[in-house]
Amino acid sequence: MFFHIVLERNMQLHPRHFGPHLRDKLVSKLIKDVEGTCSGRHGFVVAIMGVEDIGKGLIREGTGYVTFPVKYQCVVFRPFKGEILEAVVTMVNKMGFFAEAGLVQIFVSNHLILDDMKFQSGDVPSYTSSDGSVKIQKESEVRLKIIGTRVDATEIFCVGTIKDDFLGDISDPGAAV
Amino acid sequence: MPRRSRGEEEVDDMEEEEEEEEERGGKRSRAGGRGKRSRGVESFIDDAASEDEDSDEDDDDDDDDDYGGGGRGRASKRRRLSILIDDMAQVDDDDDIDDDSSDVEPGFIDDTDAGVEIRHNDVVRRSIPHSSSMLEDDEDMQEIVRRLQNRYKEASHFDYDEEVTEVEQQALLPSVKDPKLWMVKCAIGHERETAVCLMQKFIDRPDLQIKSVVALEHLKNFIYIEAEKEAHVKEACKGLRNIIASTKPTLVPIREMADVLSIESKSVDLSRDSWVRMKLGMYKGDLAKVVDVDNVGQKVSVKLIPRIDLQVLANKLDGQEVPKKSFIPPPRFFSVDEARELHIRVDRRRNRDSGEYFDVVGSLLFKDGFLHKTFSIKSISTQNIKPTFDELEKFKKPGDDLNEDVASLSTLFTNRKKGHFMKGDAVIVIKGDLKNLKGSVEKVEDSTVHIQPKLAGLPRTLAFSETNLCKYFNPGDHVKVISGVQEGAIGMVVKVEGHVLIILSDTTKEHIRVFADHVVESSEVTTGVTRIGDYELHDLVLLNNSSFGIIIRLESEAFQVLKGVPDKPELVLVKLREIKCKIDRRTSAKDRYNNIVSTKDVVRVAEGACKGKRGPVEHIHRGILFIYDRHYLEHSGFICAKAQSCFLVGGSTGIHRGNAMDKADPHFHAFGSQARILQSPGRLPPRGPHMNSGGRFGGRGSGGRGNDTLVNRCIKIRSGPYKGYRGRVKELTGVLVRVELESLMKIVTVKREDIGDTAAVATPFRETCYSRGVETPVHPSRTPLHPIQTPMRNPGATPVRDVMRTPMPSRAWVPLSPHRDNREDGDSTWASSPAYQPGTPRPRPYEAPTPGSGWASWGDASVNTPSTNVPSTPIGQPMTPDPASYLAGTPSGQPMTPGYGGMELMSPVIGGEAEGSWLLPDVLVNVSRGGDEVSNAVVKEVLLITSW
Repeated sequence: MFFHIVLERNMQLHPRHFGPHLRDKLVSKLIKDVEGTCSGRHGFVVAIMGVEDIGKGLIREGTGYVTFPVKYQCVVFRPFKGEILEAVVTMVNKMGFFAEAGLVQIFVSNHLILDDMKFQSGDVPSYTSSDGSVKIQKESEVRLKIIGTRVDATEIFCVGTIKDDFLGDISDPGAAV
Repeated sequence: MPRRSRGEEEVDDMEEEEEEEEERGGKRSRAGGRGKRSRGVESFIDDAASEDEDSDEDDDDDDDDDYGGGGRGRASKRRRLSILIDDMAQVDDDDDIDDDSSDVEPGFIDDTDAGVEIRHNDVVRRSIPHSSSMLEDDEDMQEIVRRLQNRYKEASHFDYDEEVTEVEQQALLPSVKDPKLWMVKCAIGHERETAVCLMQKFIDRPDLQIKSVVALEHLKNFIYIEAEKEAHVKEACKGLRNIIASTKPTLVPIREMADVLSIESKSVDLSRDSWVRMKLGMYKGDLAKVVDVDNVGQKVSVKLIPRIDLQVLANKLDGQEVPKKSFIPPPRFFSVDEARELHIRVDRRRNRDSGEYFDVVGSLLFKDGFLHKTFSIKSISTQNIKPTFDELEKFKKPGDDLNEDVASLSTLFTNRKKGHFMKGDAVIVIKGDLKNLKGSVEKVEDSTVHIQPKLAGLPRTLAFSETNLCKYFNPGDHVKVISGVQEGAIGMVVKVEGHVLIILSDTTKEHIRVFADHVVESSEVTTGVTRIGDYELHDLVLLNNSSFGIIIRLESEAFQVLKGVPDKPELVLVKLREIKCKIDRRTSAKDRYNNIVSTKDVVRVAEGACKGKRGPVEHIHRGILFIYDRHYLEHSGFICAKAQSCFLVGGSTGIHRGNAMDKADPHFHAFGSQARILQSPGRLPPRGPHMNSGGRFGGRGSGGRGNDTLVNRCIKIRSGPYKGYRGRVKELTGVLVRVELESLMKIVTVKREDIGDTAAVATPFRETCYSRGVETPVHPSRTPLHPIQTPMRNPGATPVRDVMRTPMPSRAWVPLSPHRDNREDGDSTWASSPAYQPGTPRPRPYEAPTPGSGWASWGDASVNTPSTNVPSTPIGQPMTPDPASYLAGTPSGQPMTPGYGGMELMSPVIGGEAEGSWLLPDVLVNVSRGGDEVSNAVVKEVLLITSW
């Protein structure tokens, strides 16, 4: 799920940036530092929408670096148990397949794939339904439900299922549902 | 006690109690002897008895005749004692297995007699001695005897009721006043024989002062002798060949005396369908399922997966000689068809008792492929059986649901650890009316668990026996395995199949099947066990002299190691002791384009099986890279590849660089020496050789801050974890030196003594860098100056330029590589401008001007008025060898900040001795390119050769 929240961060800025463009530097550094990171609490920071407030800088003794408390608005993405996501399959193996929804990696175990879908090894490994109408392979788009998340300090890993109504391959509109 | 029992008596006493009693009714010693015989602890009895014996020794001499009044008196005394004896013995009996009694008098009792019979005998025996004494004609005696008997009978009931309290039992334990127990060493396997010998000896020589002899079945090499003194023991042992005379008898501490003769009760409650393991023979360690239990015969019928080599079996049946083989055939289901193919006669017979049909081959019974066999209870172990999944799966008939097999599950449950259920655990009822009811644990009291059912309409809490409950998990739960083979694994529940969970391991991303019972919910975000001994997951380890690998998985007590064999992943499972050491050296390797690859660099595999994979290098050893690709799932994402078949992402693809580098050195030396010559006459006073050589390039010799310190010098690290690395000294604190590594772009702290000889190593290297970085792009701009330099260049510089310089760009200009090719074109020089961006390593050139004494002025000059170039030439001239730098200098002048210029204006005057670099790393400078375009840049490093 995406959230638009305000976060705060202390930015250290090198004295070389002090000057008329200090603010710009700060923002660009913030974007560089923060976007794409993951925190266990908030999930992935997808984008910074704006900077609300930049506090007074504090010079660090000894280094000349200055620390600015920066409040910024950002969009974060955090997967939740039970959430339905659309993801792109990145890899298929006999244990299941991995899919990515943005930065989140989701594993769908073969136990959580419909029973009639069987693993087909070969050049392009895939899960194919018995009648061949549905095929999940690399680059397929799937709709899945997250059944569990493991949140590390720097990574969120999810386990998903496509064994439910309206879940599964959505790449081909005809085959979906 | 042996002394009081006759050998002949003992032999048949089991079978013919009554008869014996008739015959030897008068033998008073029987009562005591018998009573004791089957008991474990004799000290009390013997004590009493021995007192008797000691007091009237003559009794024993003519014992057969001496059954008169005096004897009777003693008999009564003994009987009184016997109450005590029996009482005590009974108590003991409850604890002891009846086998014990046979140990006491080895060889006299048919050992095959199972406990049941012995127990029975005990009961009979207890009353018999007394009834026999009733045959005595003395009325008083009878009176007493009857009274005693009544009391005694009560006692016997009494102990069956098991009302003996702990305190009473304790009162019976041996004290200091009792004879001691001595442990005597004897020949292995002759324990019983020795005991019998001693007994016989005692009969022959009643003056022996030992009280009893005990040989324990489970204790080899030793027998116990009960006696007051050690001397008595020695006396008794004298002349017995089975007793090792040289060893001293060991005293058993009083506290341990009772333990010697008591055996922990093994409550063998075998029931059908429980799991057991074989203890002996070919099937040792194999899992088996109990089919039938014969408690009386102490036998168990089990079914197990046969380990039968049909070919061997066929030969055997044919009567051929079968060589004894040492190997044990693997377990495999028996197939009637296969057997018939080998002409093994398979009969189908019906078991008379059970009515089941068996396939019979010789004496072997098979059913559904399983071998049915009967074992003695002793040869199977029933405790702590934890069948693994694989084993259970094998036993599962297709279509059988593992979970339906409640009995087998219950076996699993008996092995639960204490505190299995915790408050808050989700549980499911597996037995009884409320089967499949889910709830959460509220309270645990011993084996009773109070749960709060999830269903409405039920009481708030329900109490269940622990064995009726099983843990329950939902898919998606993050759990940790706490027992079983997979102990320690952490993962997410992917699927729940009854009581079996399928877990996706966090570490290996593989599926694990475990029992729900072996799992607890885990909030840990770690990946479970990541360390055994000194080795951690993902460590590079040396297995033996020729092989090494990376630990990609930890199993209980073993590591799975991906060996450092490129192109074909080779996995080995190694034990902790098989690992020689951890390889913790930071090395680097050259990729196929001769870029230096070090750990954490991102590389792509260009050829081989793993072609196309990319990721950061985790370890490097002997030119082999271990790359971690998070999209690669096998082997925890690790790939092993030759450095030569990979290329650094973002690295140069130029081929020539490395070679050039190699060649560079000699040139440099030549150059260096030349430089020295040139310099010394110049402004530079002679210094250390490195100084000179450095000075040659723009008086850099003033070396950082001018002192003979290492600061700002490029050095090579000679030893320690960063051995082989080159870098620039940033700071010097005592014995520690902070070095900015060239290849890693980070600052590390190393010991001063780890640093290589700066003169020899550093300088050429440094020069290489600089000359490369600086000069190349400069080329075009140089042209105007050419006239001045040309003469110089030819002799000294030219070779350098062509050879050394070229390599540089390839590295320094890596990101710009396209420009490199153009650099000879006049206009392309500034095309390289991206290099100015602060992030790139390029900034170096800026610093160059700093030390530059003579031609630093050039720089300044150029900043202020390009025209000054010409005037300043003369200054440059003394430094003739520098033509290159000169040239370099010219253009660089422009980017320089005016401020610098100002400072440096002074430097030229001072000449080579410049007060050190004015430009400091990390200082922001304005780079003006071509005059009108100004951009910011940060000085990354001060190169002492030249300026841009």
